[in-house]
Amino acid sequence: MLQRTITITSDPGIHLRAAAIFVKEAGRFKSTVWVMKDGIEVNGKSILGLVSLVAERGSSITIRADGSDEEEAISNLTRLVENRFGEEE
Amino acid sequence: MGPSESIVIRGIQASPGIAIGKVHLFEPEELHVGERKVPASEIDREVDRFRTGLSTTREEIEQIRETIRAELGEEQAKIFDAHLMILDDVTAVEETVRTIREEHKNAEFAYRRTLSKIAEEFDVAEDEHFRNTAADVRDVKRRVIRHLLDKPRRSLGRLEGQVVLIAHDLTPSEAALLSKEVVLGIATNSGGRTSHAAIMARGRGIPAVVGLKYVTFHIAEGDTVVVDGNRGIVDVNPSEQALEDYRRRQQQFLALEDSLLVDRDLPAVTPDGRELELSANIEMPEEAELAVARGARGIGLFRTEFFYMKSARLPEEDEQFEAYLKVARLVSPHPLIIRTVDVGGDKFASYLGTQREKNPFLGWRGIRFSLEREEIFKVQLRAIFRAGISGNVKLMFPMVSSLDELRQANALCKQAQQELKRDGIPFGENCEIGIMVETPAAVMIADSLAREADFFSIGTNDLIQYTLAVDRGNEKIAHLYDPFHPAILRSIKTLVDTGHKHNIWVGVCGEMCGDPVSAVILLGLGLDEFSTSPYVLPEIKTIVRSVSFAEAKTLADKAVRLSTAADVRSFVEERIVKKFPHVLFP
Repeated sequence: MLQRTITITSDPGIHLRAAAIFVKEAGRFKSTVWVMKDGIEVNGKSILGLVSLVAERGSSITIRADGSDEEEAISNLTRLVENRFGEEE
Repeated sequence: MGPSESIVIRGIQASPGIAIGKVHLFEPEELHVGERKVPASEIDREVDRFRTGLSTTREEIEQIRETIRAELGEEQAKIFDAHLMILDDVTAVEETVRTIREEHKNAEFAYRRTLSKIAEEFDVAEDEHFRNTAADVRDVKRRVIRHLLDKPRRSLGRLEGQVVLIAHDLTPSEAALLSKEVVLGIATNSGGRTSHAAIMARGRGIPAVVGLKYVTFHIAEGDTVVVDGNRGIVDVNPSEQALEDYRRRQQQFLALEDSLLVDRDLPAVTPDGRELELSANIEMPEEAELAVARGARGIGLFRTEFFYMKSARLPEEDEQFEAYLKVARLVSPHPLIIRTVDVGGDKFASYLGTQREKNPFLGWRGIRFSLEREEIFKVQLRAIFRAGISGNVKLMFPMVSSLDELRQANALCKQAQQELKRDGIPFGENCEIGIMVETPAAVMIADSLAREADFFSIGTNDLIQYTLAVDRGNEKIAHLYDPFHPAILRSIKTLVDTGHKHNIWVGVCGEMCGDPVSAVILLGLGLDEFSTSPYVLPEIKTIVRSVSFAEAKTLADKAVRLSTAADVRSFVEERIVKKFPHVLFP
């Protein structure tokens, strides 16, 4: 199991579109993916779970992956968040 | 039910243009979802039924996605990717299946309960983007339930004839199906400029007004209605004369849209050589491009509440700086005038400490808020001065009612500049610092203010409301809200004359300069700058370019001396018919 904590720098945070991009990426991996914010953990492959965290710009989230490809999953998903989901306005 | 009475309702301009037509009231579809106990022997079949419902819904959404992509492009279609993911969402699907299996509930009940619970979580989010998600979740929910109930798909595409669509709200997929051939215009109770209905309407060139609150209560099927997306008003059952006027404006609007590409770079100069600075009012940074495309030279009012209201946290200095600089560079060398934050009034946010007040427009707002929350104010001032490196940024304070306020605010500007200098951060040292004139008190002490301000920008909406003591949102007295009241014309004249005596320029950034007849008077009163909504700007430019300043001045001088609003109106209209018939009859 691997986990990493990062700060959201995109605006307006992980809203619906950003969550869609995250879920699409998370879905490529066999590992289970979990995302935690303020003590609440949701399935990283669930768009509604992710948006319900209301992870706004400036907040920090912890991504946790567990499985055979956890290393690649963590590094890809972290990069995605750091790159502001690749297509933020 | 007979035709409704004639009434004008104000909302938010969402898409330009004027639509005139018969009302089609679009009522939310009623889907009756019963709660049934599913016998143990049929549980598996019920789960299958649920999964079949999901897959037929998936086909439907994919089809809509393709239609939208072909018509409006990939960017607009992306929202339906999100819908597909909501549909396949593992937590929602698992919770529904669990409810069917463990609680023996029927599929549509289980799904509705699951998604409603999720949507409610988003309803209370402070950030608009997160609140919008609730609408998306409900949209998917209704679609799935309709398939489970085996109800035929209701299609806006199947409307008969040409109608003006009036609705409480439109879901993204309803909005997506609106076609310009059938829907002449759109008016909704809810929504803002960034709601799906507004974006779709703009994308397809359908005039729209949103945020009307109660428009559906004032309208019946078959009424005649005008949706004026340029001015953000809906006129229900207008008089024959008013209707004529709208038809002319509609023709003019269409002609102007055709010539926009050719005319947008022309200056706003009268035939006898008087040139106005014609700028646009914007609320969001993205609107600046629209303003320029519609012929604005500069931005005369950049409202900054957007940065403070969009989420429940203070905007950072860098974030504001980048947004201001981007707009400044876009309109350079023409001015960008940034108004410091005007929260309070009808815009409050609990995280800022502003609250609903008994008398919000006489309360803690504008400069009063900023002077008390210096730490917030200074961040904004630093961001504005830093954007000043582009050389065309000016700033102004809202709601000034005393010289003390201007002095305190100016002192804070000095401090902010000294801090920037100390920190070695580049900034514009020569930004003009002016005030919005919105209170009668500011008019009365205009000479004192003019000595210490670099310019006046008259906010006519508030100035009229405060001077005449009229809340135009109050239907009983809205008719008393009259820009032609002599008190208003004389206040504006005082401001122009006083400003010019002290060698500062005087502009108007309220709705008054977006009205064709008022614009002629304001021109004649000697204003140096107009800042209007981008939507009406081409119309106002055409008027300025065709009216002689000398004659407008003669007209304004006389109008200011009349004693009643009715006298002013009949005099002005008669003279305009004679001298500049195209203003009224394009």
